Amino acid sequence: MTLWFSLLIPLLGAFAVLACRQPRAAVRAALGIGALEVLTLGRAVWAIRAEGVLQSGRYLRADGLTAFFLINIGLIFTLVLAYSVGYLRHIPHGRFSSARWFFALVFLLLFTMLGVYLSANLGMMWIAVETTTLASALLVGFYNTEGAVEAGWKYLILCTVGIAFALFGTITLYLAAIRSGMPADNALDWAALMNWAPQMSGARELLKLAFVFVAVGYGTKIGFVPMHSWLPDAHAEAPSPVSALLSAVLLNCALYALLRIDAITARAIGSGFSHTLLLALGTLSVVVAAFLMVVQNDLKRLLAYSSIEHMGIVAIGVGLGGSLGLYGALLHTFNHSLAKTLLFFTAGHVRERFGTLRMDQIRGMVRSLPWTSVALIIGSLAVVGMPPFGLFVSEFVILTAAFTQAHYVLAILLLAAISVVFGAMLQHFQGMLCGEPPPMGARAKALFTDVAAMTACAACLLVLGLRIPVVFTNLLHGAMAVLQ
Amino acid sequence: MTYALNVLQLMLLLAAAPLVRGVVACLKARIQNRRGASVWRPYAELRKLFAKEDLVPPTASPVFRFSPVVLFAATVAAAAFIPVLNGSALLGATGDFIMLAYLLALGRFFLILGAMDGGSSFGGMGASREALVSTLAEAPLLLGLTAVAITARTATIAGIVRWTLAQQVFHLSAVHALALAALALVAIAETGRVPVDNPATHLELTMIHEAMVLEYSGPSLALIEWAGAIKLSAMMALLIALFVPWGIPVSLSAVGLGIALTTFVLKMAALAVSLAVLESSVAKLRMYLVPDFLGMACVLSILAVIFTALMR
Amino acid sequence: MGLISLAAAKTLASSAAFLFITVLLMAAAKRTATCIALFSAQCAIITAQILATAYLHRSGEGYLVAVLVFAVKVVGIPYALLRVVRGLKTAGEVDTSTTPAQSVYITAALIPLAFVVVKPYVRALAVDGQLLAAAVALVLSGAFLMVSRKKALMQVIGLVVLENGIFVAAITTTSGMPLVIEIGIFFDLLIGVLLMGVFVFRIRDTFEHVDVSKLRRLRG
Repeated sequence: MTLWFSLLIPLLGAFAVLACRQPRAAVRAALGIGALEVLTLGRAVWAIRAEGVLQSGRYLRADGLTAFFLINIGLIFTLVLAYSVGYLRHIPHGRFSSARWFFALVFLLLFTMLGVYLSANLGMMWIAVETTTLASALLVGFYNTEGAVEAGWKYLILCTVGIAFALFGTITLYLAAIRSGMPADNALDWAALMNWAPQMSGARELLKLAFVFVAVGYGTKIGFVPMHSWLPDAHAEAPSPVSALLSAVLLNCALYALLRIDAITARAIGSGFSHTLLLALGTLSVVVAAFLMVVQNDLKRLLAYSSIEHMGIVAIGVGLGGSLGLYGALLHTFNHSLAKTLLFFTAGHVRERFGTLRMDQIRGMVRSLPWTSVALIIGSLAVVGMPPFGLFVSEFVILTAAFTQAHYVLAILLLAAISVVFGAMLQHFQGMLCGEPPPMGARAKALFTDVAAMTACAACLLVLGLRIPVVFTNLLHGAMAVLQ
Repeated sequence: MTYALNVLQLMLLLAAAPLVRGVVACLKARIQNRRGASVWRPYAELRKLFAKEDLVPPTASPVFRFSPVVLFAATVAAAAFIPVLNGSALLGATGDFIMLAYLLALGRFFLILGAMDGGSSFGGMGASREALVSTLAEAPLLLGLTAVAITARTATIAGIVRWTLAQQVFHLSAVHALALAALALVAIAETGRVPVDNPATHLELTMIHEAMVLEYSGPSLALIEWAGAIKLSAMMALLIALFVPWGIPVSLSAVGLGIALTTFVLKMAALAVSLAVLESSVAKLRMYLVPDFLGMACVLSILAVIFTALMR
Repeated sequence: MGLISLAAAKTLASSAAFLFITVLLMAAAKRTATCIALFSAQCAIITAQILATAYLHRSGEGYLVAVLVFAVKVVGIPYALLRVVRGLKTAGEVDTSTTPAQSVYITAALIPLAFVVVKPYVRALAVDGQLLAAAVALVLSGAFLMVSRKKALMQVIGLVVLENGIFVAAITTTSGMPLVIEIGIFFDLLIGVLLMGVFVFRIRDTFEHVDVSKLRRLRG
């Protein structure tokens, strides 16, 4: 029942928010519904911790991996809601760009993402991933400027094509299952496929074909390099809280789908082929994103390329496999979402204060936005993998896995790319932080919600970097057990 | 008995050719909301032309005088290969579809020569355009016929007809569909209809076929006009024979002949209607787009040949 | 009833041929409305194919899927696209970066390529090689349409042709996915097309044109 509630609350909440005519009523309704939803998600995670697996009917299922990602989405969603309250003061009012439409679309996006996490059936998972594209396209084009409309269009078309390939991969997987004797009405259910997988080992070619298409398809949504061209545009042109939601949660959502299918393939024909493909895609993403970050001029595009790079690192972690690689990858998804959320929040403040996101026109942030500068410094140190923060731990684990498995070239490439990223970010941010600020008006008062959200991000990053709480480690191990 | 029947079907094609042209012109007029001339007008025109004097330009050589005759003879010979009323034709030999294509080419070659021989600049212009169109149309014609022949595993047109009759009615394959499309496009180009050439145009700079015959008069012009009409009905009969020959009896009987004649008339009527509709709805292509048009026909016929191997 | 099963068998045997013809015609089409009509015809052929399979295998679900395909793909999506075309009030031509003849050449080259790609799987899967090749040809020609057409709406049409290809591959190799999933996929597609229609209007309102080759502001 909890699962149904956690799906229905955002869906009905979207319509409820749309019904509020007054913007302040809409904000209050949104906050209320958001709180209710987060409580429901917490209840679900608690129930999973107690019972192991929650199943509601044929199509909803939540296990250890789901619990891990539900915590991720719950946390980021709370922070985004808190930040949006302040951010909405600055949205130009149009027919469709008002507070109630913003919150309604965000709740719809939450509904579809929860649909991905909670679906038991690979077909339903595909439908939910496709629906996340549709739900977020309107959010990307929210401002209705030239850049936003172009970014929204590119996002919609490229991701729909990619997801169509993922559909082909899912169908091929279904075909392989049926051909090896599985009863047809159960052949898309993930748990049933995991049980049946050893008997699918005869259909090698079909399973390889299926995995290639799924990797390309869901990889488009994750942002792997040959298929990434929509990501910088979409994440840069969307409103900052939406960018945070996209970078921090939606990429993880698509990764979740890929992980589920990778688990089936690994159990059926071994992980040689699939993990090699993931390593290749991951390395390519990291290297290309690192070099492209050097030449960026727009702050949010820089952060978007950083997302591509980190998703590449996660892919390398999954591709290395074993207990170290997978642990590092899952931990990295969590840490990256926190760091990226913090950085996009700072980008929102920068945009609000300076009126532009072009890094060559932003100077002297330390003087004009002191607290935001602190957040920016913390966020940038975190995102390049500096020690007191969580990303250092997860990247270290992944590098350890690489050295343990004697992938020396890969590890060196990864280290080199991370160094390039460090240099690029240092150069860009130093330019923005130091110097004399251009003449501007008075600063707007910092809202409590903004400060709270950003402090929470920084605190979580610090905690995860210094000492991961035992509860969290247990959750992580539960997630890994599901996949192995 | 078959021999007499084949002579009869050739006579039918020759005699009915101007009627087909007249019907198409009448239908076009009705579609364009005009009354148009009567369907028997081409016969009246031929009678008028045969009665007139044959004027020859002073600079012309004997080629000018006998090229209409060669054109007419070649077209009649080509029409003799096509089965209409029964499963065989007056002329037939192994590989006769190649013979048909080259008989048509022979006639066209002499028409081009005669046009250039007439000495007018429009004749030369029409001749060069016709040479371009016919060069490009030759490949798809041969390839389309080849594709159908490979599927039917015979090399004579009559053999193809007999093979198709032996198949069940719903047996449509990609080879036939593509070959039909290619041959339809080629037929439009060969017979000089819209969108390749407008047979009713008066503007010399847009003419292809008409420009070549500007210098002809009298019986020579009558022969050329008649040959053009025979070519149109022969191409239509060829398309019918290759792709929709049902109605042609396998055995000879009076009832079977009656059915064959009726179905033939109905199919020609259907083709005439579709030609009239096509001509009224599409604009004539500019000359530099005609190679694109025929290139499409070529690609379709190549695809048809490739499909004979893929469908095996 | 023998005639109907004969008709069903012949429909199955010749639907691949018809699909290839629609692919070639769509490459040569000069107006957006023609492309939409051809897409509708393509989906009608697929509906006929599903009906024939349902009749021959005596499956009730197949009839339901056929009705669904008809409602969503033959009527729903083309109607939505035609409304967008009429609402845009711009010229209805397809702006291409290649001439119609070149498009036909490339599409005609894609068809044997589809057969070559499909060859190793036909024997392994024991399915109708022509239909699988038709599916791959639809995917490839949909991708080609998306790449070579400059109008935003033509990109949408290329996308739905691509999805059509994947759907034909699915129904050729499996005897149909679970019904709920199929319904979900269709409605997803419908909502996707509607959303893309909304975006085309937004592009027109923001940029004053619908030429996607001019949307090059965001680069690098």
